Amino acid sequence: MKCYAAMLLAALALAGCQEKLTAPADCPALCPGGQPQIFDEVFTAIPGADSSYAGYIQPFQARSLLVSNGLEGFEERALVRFLIRADSVSVRDTLRGYTIDSVALSFTVAARDANVNGLELWVYRIAPGFDSSTTFAGVAPAFVPQSLIAAVPVPDTLNTGVVRTVFAGADLSRIQMSPADSGRLAVGIRLSAPTFTGVRLGAVGAGAGALFTTYATLDVPDTGTAKLRTLALSTAFNTYVSEMPQVSDTTLLALGGAPSSRSLLRFSLPPRILDSATIVRATLELTPTAPISGLPTDTVLLEARSVLADVGAKSPVNIQPNRVALDTLELGSTTVSIEAVQLMQLWLGSNSPSALVLALNPEGASFTKPVFYSTRAADPALRPRLRLSYLLAFPFESP
Amino acid sequence: MRQPFLLLLALFVPAALSAQSSQFGVRGLGFPGRALAVRAMGSGGGFGLFDAESSQNPAALASVTALASGFTITQGFRQVENPAGSASLRNTRFPQLTVAGPVQTLPVAIGFSFSNYTSRDFTLATSQTIDLRGMPVNVSDTFSSRGGLNDFRIAGSYRLGDRWAFGGGFHIISGSNRLTSTRIFDEPGFLSTRQRAELSYTGVGVSVGFTRLFGANLALSALARSDGHLNVDRDSTRVGTIDLPFSFGLGVRWRPVPALDLAGQTMVRTWSGANSDLLAMGGTGAENTIEVAAGAEYTTDLRRPYRRPLRFGVHYATLPFTLVAGQQGHELGVSAGSGLRFAQQRAGLDLAVEYVWRSEGVYSENGFLISLGVSVRP
Repeated sequence: MKCYAAMLLAALALAGCQEKLTAPADCPALCPGGQPQIFDEVFTAIPGADSSYAGYIQPFQARSLLVSNGLEGFEERALVRFLIRADSVSVRDTLRGYTIDSVALSFTVAARDANVNGLELWVYRIAPGFDSSTTFAGVAPAFVPQSLIAAVPVPDTLNTGVVRTVFAGADLSRIQMSPADSGRLAVGIRLSAPTFTGVRLGAVGAGAGALFTTYATLDVPDTGTAKLRTLALSTAFNTYVSEMPQVSDTTLLALGGAPSSRSLLRFSLPPRILDSATIVRATLELTPTAPISGLPTDTVLLEARSVLADVGAKSPVNIQPNRVALDTLELGSTTVSIEAVQLMQLWLGSNSPSALVLALNPEGASFTKPVFYSTRAADPALRPRLRLSYLLAFPFESP
Repeated sequence: MRQPFLLLLALFVPAALSAQSSQFGVRGLGFPGRALAVRAMGSGGGFGLFDAESSQNPAALASVTALASGFTITQGFRQVENPAGSASLRNTRFPQLTVAGPVQTLPVAIGFSFSNYTSRDFTLATSQTIDLRGMPVNVSDTFSSRGGLNDFRIAGSYRLGDRWAFGGGFHIISGSNRLTSTRIFDEPGFLSTRQRAELSYTGVGVSVGFTRLFGANLALSALARSDGHLNVDRDSTRVGTIDLPFSFGLGVRWRPVPALDLAGQTMVRTWSGANSDLLAMGGTGAENTIEVAAGAEYTTDLRRPYRRPLRFGVHYATLPFTLVAGQQGHELGVSAGSGLRFAQQRAGLDLAVEYVWRSEGVYSENGFLISLGVSVRP
């Protein structure tokens, strides 16, 4: 029986051994089919088939309001209109009048240049009748010293967060509403700073609009808590206006701005790549017409998405998060590249068009407004191009 | 004793059939199998043409007296060396499965067997620095194959008198190689790649053989086999055919004393017929092979010859698929083994230990192959 047991144990030991089959290879003798070959090739976008389209995100739809004092050589101002403040409050089924004790205005700083100190938001009382078509020139007369109701300092230590100003006592007269206002308070905001800079303020589009808070005492025969009320009014409408109207050039590729622009690039890849290549790296290379500018320390992303169906400006794009190419736009850059291999893979072996859409993130809410050369550039080196590193189908020996 | 055997059967039956893997199986159709049961392995393969549990000679089935089945498991421990370095490898394979039995009232026996024809299991790893976009990038490549060719044989033998036995077999040769090429870049900007292909093979062959007894102590056995050609598909698309070899074998068995059995055999295969086909498909070609084996079995107890006999032997073989054009690899092996029968000889275990040296120019490997065979006679 000992012998049987020993042989049984031997069988179990043999069957239970883990395999190890990896050995060093001496190529080409021991490499059937050779080794993978990588090809590096540059493809220029189809000439004349790249375009910029504007109008995607309007200033009043943006996630931030741009306020600057000449950062890009011109000024941008924010306009905010709050919800209507009623002149009475319903308490125990009875409308009651109230006396205003104090009022607060709150703004959210979404981004600023952390290297610039001494910022102040100057808040002006303006007429509430502005809308999405209002221009900088249209509201400029309201930004006069007589309309200045507050200078809200932005603490040097505050990079993002809420700044607030309170009106009480005699200062309440600055925001006293006339019957013509119909209970609507509107303010305009400009930036004061020792140097050219800007801030991004939270907007309704991001759920971070300005807040108008009234602290009141109700006219009720009660000495309890019902007597004191806080009336918090959020932003009804906000937008921003630029001193320099946006000018589009159809021979260039523009991104961002307000209303925002996007660019559509089309490529023609050969069948040997579309049908049987494995792309290991794809880099989209763009050349800006001027070094990238914007607000220092405020991150701006260049975003590329593949086109699902090419119908021009309204082409639907792939929205899968892992299929979006993102890269930070560095201020001062004279060339821009973005790794887009995850987009190119969607082009392979499918009927998807070999096209992509470029946009900025945040869109319509960035001081950076890059403009790139298109395929119409006279110098071929300036045109948008795609640098592909790829492998063709491995030549598996047969056998 | 039934439980251990049931356990062993459960271990063996689901396993895929294959044989030892080797760097000498990288090219062509892979490393050739020997179609031997453990008993024959222990004696160097010298008894292969006479062994009913092996699949070399259909005439050997004539020695089957009762329905029997056999399973083989082989574990390899090898040290591989080539100009790129060295490595210690392990692999487990199940190279042989047979079921055979006599036909009552007739001097006929029939059998079925699965045996390994070639094995192409390997993973090769390389690393190098290549220039990509003007900068050096380290890459690691692996090329792997899993699979091989199996030989399913249906065979029968006919005993003519006391001295002659003839046999014939029909072989279905099929299998596949699942190939994978992987490249990994050290530079994070590059994605790793993995490409796959599957080669599948089908073919048929026939074999005939005989065994002639010259008295009680001397026997002669011979084999002729033609495997026709192999159809090769890559990813379901026919890419060509490969001529398979004719095989001719001759063996002698001699018992000089009752306790000692000696045997030797030679097998020749015309693998060069596949040379042009392999070259046309991008391979390095094939050469004819010869295999010479000799061995002995010493019975320690003549009253119970099935109790722990001692087996030993040696074999030499040239290898068909060259790594480098113009060279031919070879293999030398020495082996020893034993076995026992129990449960009224209805079951048996055989063990063989073989040490092999293989080389072709600067490529070499050596190591132990440990095989365990289980035979059951229901």
